[in-house]
Amino acid sequence: MQHKHILVMCLTQVLLYHITILQWDTKIPFMVIIYKAMIHLLSKSEEIKIQTGTGYETNSYNYQTSLWNDGNYHSYPYHHYSSYTTSSTSSAQSSATISGNSLYYQQQYNNWPYYQSQPAPIVNGAAGLENTSATSLQSAGYSAEGASSGYPYISNQPPPPGTTSWREDSRPSGMPSFQGKEAVTPYHLNKNWEAVAPGMQTHHINQSSYFQQPLNSTPLPNEKHANEQKVLYSLAPNLQHAASNQVPENFQPPLQTVPLTETRQVSKMQIPTNPRIAPNVGVSMLKTQKESCIVSAATKPAYISVSVPKPSNQSSSEDDAGAITKGTFSPSFCAYVERSFARCKDDAQRSANQSILKQMITMATADGTLFTKNWDTEPLFSLPVDQSSQQSLVSDSSLPTHKRSPTRRKSRWEPIADEKLGEKLTSVDSHSAIDARWGQVEAAEKKVDSKISESKSVNGWGGFKYASFQQQSALQKFGQRPNKKQRFSDTSSVTENGDPSSDSDKEQNLTKYYASAIALANSPEEKRKRENRFKRFEKGQGNQAELTNFRPKTAGGGSMYTRRAGALLKAKSYEDGCNKAVEDIDWDSLTVKGTCQEIEKRYLRLTSAPDPSTVRPEEVLEKALQMVQSSQKNYLYKCDQLKSIRQDLTVQRIQNALTVKVYETHARLALEAGDLPEFNQCQSQLQRLYAEGIQGCYMEFAAYNLLSIILHSNNKSDLLSSMTRLSAKAKDDEAVKHSLAVHSAVSSGNFILFFRLYKTAPNLNTFLMDLYVEKMRFEAVQCMSKSYRPVIPVAYITCALGFSKAIQMDDSQDTSIEGVEECEEWLRAHGAVLTVDNNGELQLDAKASSTTLYMPEQEDAVAHGDASLAVDDFLTRTS
Amino acid sequence: MAYLSMGEAHRRITDYLSRFSDAVSSQDAAVLSPLLAVSSNSASLQSLADALNVFQDSNRLVGQLERSSQLAEIVSPLLRCIQSYRLGRFADAYVVLEKAANAFLQEFRNWETPWAMEALYTLALEIRLLAEKADRELASSGKNPEKLQGAGSFLMRVFGALAGKGPKRAGALYVACQLFKVYFKLGTVHLCRSVIRSIETARIFDFEEFPVKDKVTYMYYTGRLEVYNENFLVADQKLTYALMHCSPRKEANKRMILKYLIPVKLSIGILPKQWLIEKYNLIEYGEVVNAIKKGDLRLLRQALREHEDRFLRSGVYLVLEKLELLVYQRLIKKIYVLQKQKDPSKAHQVKLEIIVKALKWLELDMDIDEVECIVAILIYKNLIKGYIAHKSKVVVLSKQDPFPKLNGKPIGS
Repeated sequence: MQHKHILVMCLTQVLLYHITILQWDTKIPFMVIIYKAMIHLLSKSEEIKIQTGTGYETNSYNYQTSLWNDGNYHSYPYHHYSSYTTSSTSSAQSSATISGNSLYYQQQYNNWPYYQSQPAPIVNGAAGLENTSATSLQSAGYSAEGASSGYPYISNQPPPPGTTSWREDSRPSGMPSFQGKEAVTPYHLNKNWEAVAPGMQTHHINQSSYFQQPLNSTPLPNEKHANEQKVLYSLAPNLQHAASNQVPENFQPPLQTVPLTETRQVSKMQIPTNPRIAPNVGVSMLKTQKESCIVSAATKPAYISVSVPKPSNQSSSEDDAGAITKGTFSPSFCAYVERSFARCKDDAQRSANQSILKQMITMATADGTLFTKNWDTEPLFSLPVDQSSQQSLVSDSSLPTHKRSPTRRKSRWEPIADEKLGEKLTSVDSHSAIDARWGQVEAAEKKVDSKISESKSVNGWGGFKYASFQQQSALQKFGQRPNKKQRFSDTSSVTENGDPSSDSDKEQNLTKYYASAIALANSPEEKRKRENRFKRFEKGQGNQAELTNFRPKTAGGGSMYTRRAGALLKAKSYEDGCNKAVEDIDWDSLTVKGTCQEIEKRYLRLTSAPDPSTVRPEEVLEKALQMVQSSQKNYLYKCDQLKSIRQDLTVQRIQNALTVKVYETHARLALEAGDLPEFNQCQSQLQRLYAEGIQGCYMEFAAYNLLSIILHSNNKSDLLSSMTRLSAKAKDDEAVKHSLAVHSAVSSGNFILFFRLYKTAPNLNTFLMDLYVEKMRFEAVQCMSKSYRPVIPVAYITCALGFSKAIQMDDSQDTSIEGVEECEEWLRAHGAVLTVDNNGELQLDAKASSTTLYMPEQEDAVAHGDASLAVDDFLTRTS
Repeated sequence: MAYLSMGEAHRRITDYLSRFSDAVSSQDAAVLSPLLAVSSNSASLQSLADALNVFQDSNRLVGQLERSSQLAEIVSPLLRCIQSYRLGRFADAYVVLEKAANAFLQEFRNWETPWAMEALYTLALEIRLLAEKADRELASSGKNPEKLQGAGSFLMRVFGALAGKGPKRAGALYVACQLFKVYFKLGTVHLCRSVIRSIETARIFDFEEFPVKDKVTYMYYTGRLEVYNENFLVADQKLTYALMHCSPRKEANKRMILKYLIPVKLSIGILPKQWLIEKYNLIEYGEVVNAIKKGDLRLLRQALREHEDRFLRSGVYLVLEKLELLVYQRLIKKIYVLQKQKDPSKAHQVKLEIIVKALKWLELDMDIDEVECIVAILIYKNLIKGYIAHKSKVVVLSKQDPFPKLNGKPIGS
């Protein structure tokens, strides 16, 4: 019966998990929020690092960009590594290179006495692992202890075939009991996530109500948390519209406690299994496992993890009950939990009771009845008879990382380390969830190990801080690596970081790290500090580490790079987390204030953040513009200078009359030089600037804009919208009128009108029309050769097609008008048939020409299609 | 707002929630749709909004829903949307509605049958309408109106969910039309192309199987696109289809179609009857038609100037502008007819000078070169058969059919 019960639970969770995946994108914001808050909570205890590792495991899968995720995700491989070293070699200390590692060790180091001196609230087999890894850190002395915290339940499970050999090598004594657990990891992680997801759904709802009324009293009974919540909310009162959403998100401990407990719950109760191992585990296990395999369909789970209550632990039922209920739940539920524990006779029953309770909480949270149900009247559940029922099973094999074959596993160390780490993370997670609340509540209440717990929580913050060190690098990594790779326990990153070389470096860093972490751990007023730190994170100015090594030395943040990185990070997390996007980013923190006094500066495309010392401030830029305008040098030089001015303006976010002037100057120069791409760039910037109400030569450029649409892009809807935007005043403007006239000439093919307009063009309209002249002429000659009979005088064509400078044509003129030769040449080049009549006048034979006209291939055609950009040509024209 | 007791508010909210979840569990789109119609201003939604103002902790009630995990994602933001909408905060309302709509779309994808199609239609419509309202609100407060763009990308996702195989495809055209509306409004008509391609290239689903109203809307918008591209024959075909299939009761829709169909028909030489113009109150075209009939260039230009804004905004200005050539043709034909009455033997020779004079009478100052050019173009574009004798400044018209009719062919073909 009990088996069935657990089995059903597992199935529902697997189902929920799938559902959550399907609903993924809608949930992202809430996930992010919850993870952040989880971290916040957890940070009260020293397990933060580990916890985040787990959280991240799931988290990074989907949003690597979120602020916390980055850091934590990144730190993950190092955890890994550390666990790997512990299990493989007894001398873990010598093999710690990176501060990420050392951080982890540090935590373990601190954890250790805590675990030893204080009865662990939740009896979890994984805690033993914690011990062992800490053990290796502490060197031999502890290892005995780690091993001594026996694991009777696991002992019936033979070591997984793929992992056995090396493990036994590394730890000859008492190791078999560990191996089951060491293999566990990834499933824990998945499960963890799984458990959180359903909880989230209800949670975000609560949360939203908080957003609406920040100071509204919440259904949470616990005084402490209620208070804390209020305090925190008062810090960020405008939650609803706050630009910085991160603030409220971070400050929602009361809400988040629930998902935490879920996490804890699940990570404890789940026993991921490997089908290969399953037969050894026992009948009930096998059964459930099969079931879950069917459910999760996708891939074969590689390992079974069995997390078992730790019997050697001295935990009392009161502790258990307190751990679950304190700080989070309503009094009636607390009473219910106490009742359930009261009837337990031995440890096995207690742990069974506990796991069932946790499932109940998960369910209750998922359907929102946790706070509404009348727990006083709720009947107690029946306790299981045998031990196997305490093991619930999960196989989340749908995750890509676990597709690895056992043989491959055997050949590679990293994946194993990976799993082991994960296991540790999860198991600690379950502790930390409790400790998060406990560390403080109990320290205050019992004063038993107050010192430990305090240092613990502070230390947790230290870890938190170092997580932030890694944000930057994590960000970079994510930028470089495609997302897919980052799923769950990312093998590639593990491999990267799991490289067992440079052990001595590790050691050095480890020592360094110890020093700093301990220093941090000793700070007293943790709460105030915490707030300060949060504020710092909000500003995106948290200490940023060097990208390459993770030494905590770059505490002197505030350099432009770190600011930028922070703000970018923030921006990303905003986008992912809460649809808030660009407008909420503090762009000011990204803006550079230039100090360069050089007037002349070459343009160089930025490949990194601008350096203020090479950026010119506005007044220097003004001089630079004047210099360019009065310069006698060629266009290339001017273009280069103007581009550098534009760049300096852009990086300093200067958008005023000067900006408009620069773009206008550049646009005009580009037009004169026939540099259309550059002109278009300037033009589009100008459009935007004018639209923002900055004064400039609006009419002139409106005319250019029309012309370039009419003559080049020929996009009807663009033209229409441009024409629609023209004000009545603009339509009276000489230049705009001219452009509109050009439009009607072009659209009707009226070449006479076109070339007249060509001659009378205001401003630089001629230059734009230039680019259409060839086409217009050809069309005109085609038209003429079809509609004229028998001949057309070349002199007439010369005038009609704008070869001569005269505006008005006059047939009475003699044939010696200027431009006739040019016209003749052009006509011949286009295949026209020319004849000379009796009077010696050159004429176009219309009928003959109508079939022979062709558009000659441009001799100066270039591969990129824009002859005006051909360098030789360009140089001759512009110099 | 009358005082609303907490209990009553509670009752209204739970009532809404139970109706919602019942509709989903019984797969009743007819019940579900009105619950999603945020902007419908139905009495029940209004009273719900009032209740939400009174009873703040609606999320707790949502949490009690059956299948809360899925429905809460939809309902919770939806309630906030209803509340914000009632308070006139459209931008806020839009943001949460999009959330709800996203959650709904997720669910919709999971449902095997397209039972919720009506509800999805409602949401798609609401998203668009609310985005427009939100943008107006944002623009008036000096913020960047970008919600309609957001609505566009959401609708694109909906379209993606529907456009595949299977029974849900029938709904794709409706969403496509909503997308067209968004794109036309945003002026990003080029984005329509991918939608059109996906509709028209699919062989597994015959176009005729879509609902008629969607087909009409679709043809209307694609016809308009062809007007932009000056593909008058295709535009004529599409718009005519839309007009033929448009419900006879939808006068306003017919008028909208005619607004584009008339210029298209004009440019292929087919003039509308006066009664049609009057019936659908499209008098702005009346003068254009008159100008073509009379060969009165001045009248055409006047009409264009007078209704410039309207024509520009609807996008037919460029089409109407091109009608000038038809007017010239008619003018020259008139001269030809008059000459024929006077002296049939010399009628086929029209002096350019006479055309210049005629234009002068219309107060249009054009010199002989320009007129010569225009005649050349008319000949080039097959509006006149004949040739220009440059030396003598005469147009020599063909003796057979000197002014060929377009007869449904676009100018210049």
